[in-house]
Amino acid sequence: MISGLFIYSHKGEVLISRVYRDDIRRNVSDVFRVNIIHSRHQVRSPVNIINRTSFFHIKHENVWLVVAAKENVNAMTVFAFLHKFIQVFVSYFGKFNDEAVKNNFILIYELLDEVLDFGYPQIVDSNALKAYITQEGLKIARTSTGAGAVTSQLTGTVSWRREGIKYRKNQMFIDVIESVNLLMSTDGKPLSAHVSGSIMIKCYLSGMPECKFGLNDKILLEKDGRSQTRARKGGAGIAIDDCTFHQCVKLGKFEADRSISFIPPDGEFELMKYRTTDNIALPFKVIPLVKESGNRIEIKVVVKAQFKATLFATNVEVRIPTPRNTAAVHVTTVTGSAKYKPSENAIIWKMKRFAGQYEAQVSAEVELLASSEKKAWNRPPISMDFQVPMFPASGLNVRFLKVLEHKLNYETVKWVRYMTKAGSYETRC
Amino acid sequence: MPDDMRGLHNFIAEIRATKSKEAEEKRINKELANIRSKFKGDKPLDGYQKKKYVCKLLFMFLLGEDIDFGHMEAISLVASNKYSEKQIGYLFLSVMINETSDFNRLIIQQIKNDLLDRNETHVCLALTCIANVGGREMAESLAGDVQKLLVSPDSRSFVKKKAALTLLRLYRKFPEILPVGEYTPRIIALLDDPDLSVVTSVLALLYALVQADTQGYGSCVDRAIARLRRLQTREESLEGYVYYDIAAPWLQVKLLRFLQVFPAPAPDSRAREAVVEVLRSIVGKAANEPVRDKRNKQQLPQYFNARNAVLYEAVRVLIHLESETDLLVESSNLLGRFLSSKETNLRYFALELMSSLATLSFTHEAIKRHQETVVNALTQEKDISVRRRALDLLYNLCGKSNVRVIVRELLQYLQVADYEIREEMVLKIAVLAELHADDYSWYVDVILQLIRVAGDYVSEEVWHRVVQIVTNQPDVQDYATKVVFDALCSPYCHETMVKVGGYLLGEFGHLIANNPRATPQIQLQLLLSKFSMCSPSTRALLLSTLVKFANLFPEIKTDIETIFRSNNLSRNTDPEIQQRVIEYLSLSQHPNPNVMPTVLEEMPKFKERESSLLAKIREKSEGVSVDAEAAKVARQTVIVDRDRQEREDREEREARRSNPAVSQQPQANLLGDLDAAPASTGPSAVNTTSQPPQANPELAHLSRAFLFQNDGKLYEDAILQIGVKTSVKNNLARVALYFGNKSGYPITNFTSDVFAINTTETLSLQAKPVEGQLAPKAQTQQLINVECLKEFEEQPTLGVAYVVNGQLQRAVIKFPIFVNKFLASFDMDQPTFVARWKQLSAPGLESQKVFKAAQPIDVAAVRSKLQSMGFTVLAGVDPNPDNFVCAGVVHTGSSQVGVLLRLEPNRDAQMYRATFRTSRDTVSRILCDLVASSF
Repeated sequence: MISGLFIYSHKGEVLISRVYRDDIRRNVSDVFRVNIIHSRHQVRSPVNIINRTSFFHIKHENVWLVVAAKENVNAMTVFAFLHKFIQVFVSYFGKFNDEAVKNNFILIYELLDEVLDFGYPQIVDSNALKAYITQEGLKIARTSTGAGAVTSQLTGTVSWRREGIKYRKNQMFIDVIESVNLLMSTDGKPLSAHVSGSIMIKCYLSGMPECKFGLNDKILLEKDGRSQTRARKGGAGIAIDDCTFHQCVKLGKFEADRSISFIPPDGEFELMKYRTTDNIALPFKVIPLVKESGNRIEIKVVVKAQFKATLFATNVEVRIPTPRNTAAVHVTTVTGSAKYKPSENAIIWKMKRFAGQYEAQVSAEVELLASSEKKAWNRPPISMDFQVPMFPASGLNVRFLKVLEHKLNYETVKWVRYMTKAGSYETRC
Repeated sequence: MPDDMRGLHNFIAEIRATKSKEAEEKRINKELANIRSKFKGDKPLDGYQKKKYVCKLLFMFLLGEDIDFGHMEAISLVASNKYSEKQIGYLFLSVMINETSDFNRLIIQQIKNDLLDRNETHVCLALTCIANVGGREMAESLAGDVQKLLVSPDSRSFVKKKAALTLLRLYRKFPEILPVGEYTPRIIALLDDPDLSVVTSVLALLYALVQADTQGYGSCVDRAIARLRRLQTREESLEGYVYYDIAAPWLQVKLLRFLQVFPAPAPDSRAREAVVEVLRSIVGKAANEPVRDKRNKQQLPQYFNARNAVLYEAVRVLIHLESETDLLVESSNLLGRFLSSKETNLRYFALELMSSLATLSFTHEAIKRHQETVVNALTQEKDISVRRRALDLLYNLCGKSNVRVIVRELLQYLQVADYEIREEMVLKIAVLAELHADDYSWYVDVILQLIRVAGDYVSEEVWHRVVQIVTNQPDVQDYATKVVFDALCSPYCHETMVKVGGYLLGEFGHLIANNPRATPQIQLQLLLSKFSMCSPSTRALLLSTLVKFANLFPEIKTDIETIFRSNNLSRNTDPEIQQRVIEYLSLSQHPNPNVMPTVLEEMPKFKERESSLLAKIREKSEGVSVDAEAAKVARQTVIVDRDRQEREDREEREARRSNPAVSQQPQANLLGDLDAAPASTGPSAVNTTSQPPQANPELAHLSRAFLFQNDGKLYEDAILQIGVKTSVKNNLARVALYFGNKSGYPITNFTSDVFAINTTETLSLQAKPVEGQLAPKAQTQQLINVECLKEFEEQPTLGVAYVVNGQLQRAVIKFPIFVNKFLASFDMDQPTFVARWKQLSAPGLESQKVFKAAQPIDVAAVRSKLQSMGFTVLAGVDPNPDNFVCAGVVHTGSSQVGVLLRLEPNRDAQMYRATFRTSRDTVSRILCDLVASSF
C-alpha cells in the first residue's frame, strides 16, 4: 500500500512529508524532485517508477501531491484517494495551494494521520472528519461517549450520516451541472462531442431520511413504459453511457430496477456523475472564416447561440489563436470586447451576456512578420468558454425526488437548477 | 544615449524572476509580440533599438525558444559603422545562422566589404564570423580574400593571425575549395614572421595542409628548424613569449610536431645536422638539470611541465629520425631518471616514451637496464593509467633473454592486478610466452597458470592457441596432458581449464592412460564430475571428448554409451547438446567398426599462422599508440595474417570433427567408399541418408511409360509399391498415388512430397499430406493436383521417405507428368491442316528430328502410341499413307498451343523423321524431344 505522501511546492520544495511505512526512506522525496519536477523534459505520465519505487502524482494549482509506494499498489485507489484528499483539503482550508499548505501544516499532519493508516486509506469524507478534527481545537465537553459514537458511526451501515440531525426547515437543493466537450470540423460537422455531468446535492434534512431520485433515463423509462402506458410526454429519455454514484446510493437497487435511492449525507455532496454522447444539444455554433494572403490574415468568426431565446449565457469567451509571427492585430466587433493578447498568442473575445438565438460576430486583421523559416501556420482550433444556466445540454431531466422519513414525516422543500458549462469546446478553422 | 541597454537588463531580470515555466513562457510571448510589432512598425528603428531587440532575441534563443526572425535587423546592424552594433550583429548571425541558411548569400557581400575595410577591428569581426558560420558558398566567395589578408604585407599581425585560423577552419571543412597553390610560398614565408603569434597560427594552418600532402612544402623544414634553433638560442626577441623561463614552449612543441610529419631528412644533410643539434640542446639541457628541486623556488611545476612537453616532442622527433644512437641512449637514460620521480605525470610520460623507444633496436638494450624499475612501477604504482603504460613497456621490452623473468613478474602481479587490465595482461602474457618460449612445456605451464590465476579473463583465443600449439608440437603433448590432468584433479578449477582439459584428454588421453592414477575410467569420472558445473558450450565440448574416449578406450565404450542414452542428455533442452549426444551415440553404434576410428582420427596439425592473440592485442591498443605498435609488429616479423581466418579454420575443423550433422558430405563419401558392396545390392531403395537425391535411372525409365498411359505402376521394391492414376482436364491434372506396404513390418514416419525443382513457374503442384503410418499389407492414397501454367520440359520429382524396421528408407522417383498429358485432341480436314501448316512456317516454330527407331516399325503400334500420347491422328491428309499426320492442342494456364505433327517412318533404314509445328517454339522442341526419345 501507500508508503508515503509528499506535498511539494511548484519549485520542488518539500512542504509536507509523511512516511507511513518503513520500506521507503524520507529521502525518496529528493528522488522524485530530481527525476520528475526538475527533469529536463516534461514528464507526462502521472505514474513513474524510479528505482523500484512507484510515484503517483497529481498537480493541483501550484502544488505537487505525490504518493510513493514500494509495493504493487492499485493505481486507481491511489488516484481516487488523492482526489478525495484534495476535496477534504478544500473543504477545510478553501484552497489547495502552497500558501494554504504552509499556513495549516499542523492540521494537515493531523489530517494525514486520520486519512491513512499504515498506508491504507481510512476516512476521506470531510463531513465525518470535520466532526472530530477541528480548526479551533477540541471541545473539552466531548466525553468518552463521543468517541464511542465515532466508532459506531464509522463502522455502521450508514457511515456517512450522523444520527439526530435536526433542521427547522427541511430543504434539498439539486444542481445538475454539465460540461460540453466538442471538436467541430471546419465544415461544421462535430468530430467528437460528449457531455460529462454531475448532480450535486445540498441536503438540509432532519433525521434519517430515505430519498428516491428519478431521471429521464431511457432504460428506466422504457421499463416503466409498459405499466404506465407511455403517458408521459417529457420526451423519449436520454441514454446515459456510464455513471458513477456517491457511496450512499444503494447500488443493489440500481442494478435491480435502475432506481436511485439513498440516505443522503448531511450537507453538500455529489450524488452522481454521468456521461452522454447521444443527442447533445450544442449551445453554440462557431463559424470561422480565415483568409491567408501573404503577410496578412483576415479572420471572421460568427458565434450563434442555439438555445431558447428565453435563456441566456454568461461569461462567454472566445479564444481565436493567431500565428506565432503575428506583428500587429486590428480587431473590430460590435458585441462585447475583443483584444489581442500577445502573451497567449490569441485574440480573446469576451461577452458578459449572450441571449439565446442571438448572433455575434468579430473580425480581425492580423499582420505577420516575415520569418526566416517558411513554416505553414498549423491553425489551432478556436476554443470557447461559457456558462448557460437552466439549459441541460444532454437533455437530462430530474423527474422526481421523493423524501421519506418514517419517524418525523415532514414535508421537504426541493429546488432544482441546471447549468451547462464549456469543457473543451473547440472548432477547427 | 545610454549604451548599457537597460531594456535588455530589465527583461532578463524579469525572466529570471518568473515563478513558473508558464509565466516565463507568457513573458517571452509578450516580448516576442512586442519585438515583432516594433520590427513591423512604420517607424524606422534606430541602431540602439535594433541592437537591444536583437540582443533580446539572442537571449531568448539561448533560453531555448525558436527564433525565426530578426535576421534582417541583424544584417542591417552589421552594416552599421559603430563597433558595438556591428559586433552584436555579427554575434547574432554567428549564433543563428548555420552554413546551409539562405541568409549566407545576404551577408557575404557585407562581410566582403568588412574584409576590405581599413578598420582592422571590423576585418577581425568579419573573419570571426566566417570562421563561425563557414558555409560552402562563403568559402567559395571569401577564401581568396582571406588568403590575401593573410599574405598581404599591409595586414597587421593580429589580422594575419585571425586570417590564418579562419583559413584553417575553411580548409578543414572544404579542402578542395582553397586555392592553396599559388600562395603556398608566401604562407611558408610567414614562418619567418617576426611576430610569434602569427607563426603559431600559421603553423597550425600549415600542419593541416602538410598532413594532407607534404609535396611542395619541403622548404618548410629548414625554416622550421631554423626557427627552433633561434628559439633555443634566444636569438630573437621573445617579448611576452617566455613562459617560466622557457621560450615559447607551445610554438616549440608545434614546430617539433610539424617536423614529424615530414620524412626524416637524409643522413649527413645539413638539415639533419641542424635538427640533431637542436634536439641535442633540448635533451642536453633537460639532462643537465636536476629532475626537480623543491628547495629551488625559481623552478615551479609550470616550468617542468613546459620543459617536459618540449622534451616529449623532441624525443618523438628522435624516434622519428631513428639513427642518433648517442642521443637516443642519452634520452633513455634521462627517462629512466624520470621513472623514479614523484610526479605521476612525469612517470607516465617516461613510460610512454620508453615503450616507443624500446621498439627501436638502438635503445632496446638501454631501456632494458630499467627493467626492474618498470616492474616496480607496475606493481607499486597507484595510478592505473601509469600501470598500464608500464605493462606496455614491459611487453615491448620482453625478449628471449628476459622473458622468463618478465612473465614470472607479470604472473605474480596478475593475482593482485586491477580487473580492468587483467584481460589485457592475460593476453600479453600469453603472447610473450608464445613468442619467446624456447621450451613448450614452459609455455604450457604459463598458460595453465594463467587460467588458474585469472580464468575469467582468459579469452577464447588464448586457450584455442594452447590447443593449437600442443597439437602441433608432439614433444609436449605428453607433458601437457599430464599437467592438465593434474590441474583438473583439483576440486576447484576454472571452466576454461575444463575446456582445455576436455580437449587435450580427448586427443591425447591415451598418452597418460598407462598411469594407474589416470586410467581411462578415472579420466572419464573426472570429466563427468566437472560436467554438471559447466556452461552448455563446454558441455558440448566435453561430449566430443566422451565420444573420443569411446574411440580411444574400448573398455569404457559401453559406459559412455549408457551416459549418452541417459534422459538427461538425449532429451536435453539444449538442442546442441541433444543433437551431439544422439549423433555420437549413433556413431558409436554404427555397425561398421571402421567408421568411428576414421571419423575420430587424431586431429591434423594446424597451419602455422600469426598468433590470433597478436591481432587481438593490436585491436586492443589501436588508437593508443598505433605507430609504436605497428613498428613492434614489424620487428617481430610474424607472418601477417588476419586472425579471423585462423579462428574460422579452427572452428571448421572442430565442427567437422565433432559434429557429423554439419559435415554430412565428407562422411557420407567415406561411408560410401567403405560400404560399396552392400549398398549396390539394394536395387531400388537407398540404404542410408547418404545417397544424394537423384533418381535411379531404371526408375526413370519406368516412369517414362507414363508418356503413353495414365494409370499404372510407378515404382516397386521389396517394401513399397506405388501406383498412379491420372485424370486430366484442360490444364489441370489430378494424380492419385497409391502406396502399398508389401513387407511384413509396419511403415512409420511415412512422408511423400513432390518437388518441382526448375519448374515452379511452369507447374503448380499441390500434394495433400499423406498418413504417417502404413500397416503391413495395407495401402494408402495421396492426391496431387497439378496445374500446368506453361509448357515444361523437366519432370518434377517425387520424394518418399519412411522408416521400416528401424531403418530409414528413401526413394526419389520422377513424377509421371509430361507436357503431352495436357494435350487435347483436335480434328481437322486436309485443307485446314495444310493452311495451318503453312501458317506456322516461321523459323523456330518448326522443330524437326531424325532418329532411329527403338523397335521395329509397325504402323498400327505407332498409331496407337501416338493416340495414347494424346495426338489425334488425321487420316487422308498426307499423300503418303505411311506417314502419320497428327494434331492437338496443349492446354496451359496461360494459353492454348496448337500442335501439328508429321511423322515419317522409313522402314528400310528403320528411321523416323518427326516434324512439329506449333504456335510456340518451346512446345515444338519439347514435344519433338519426347517423341524422338520414345519411338
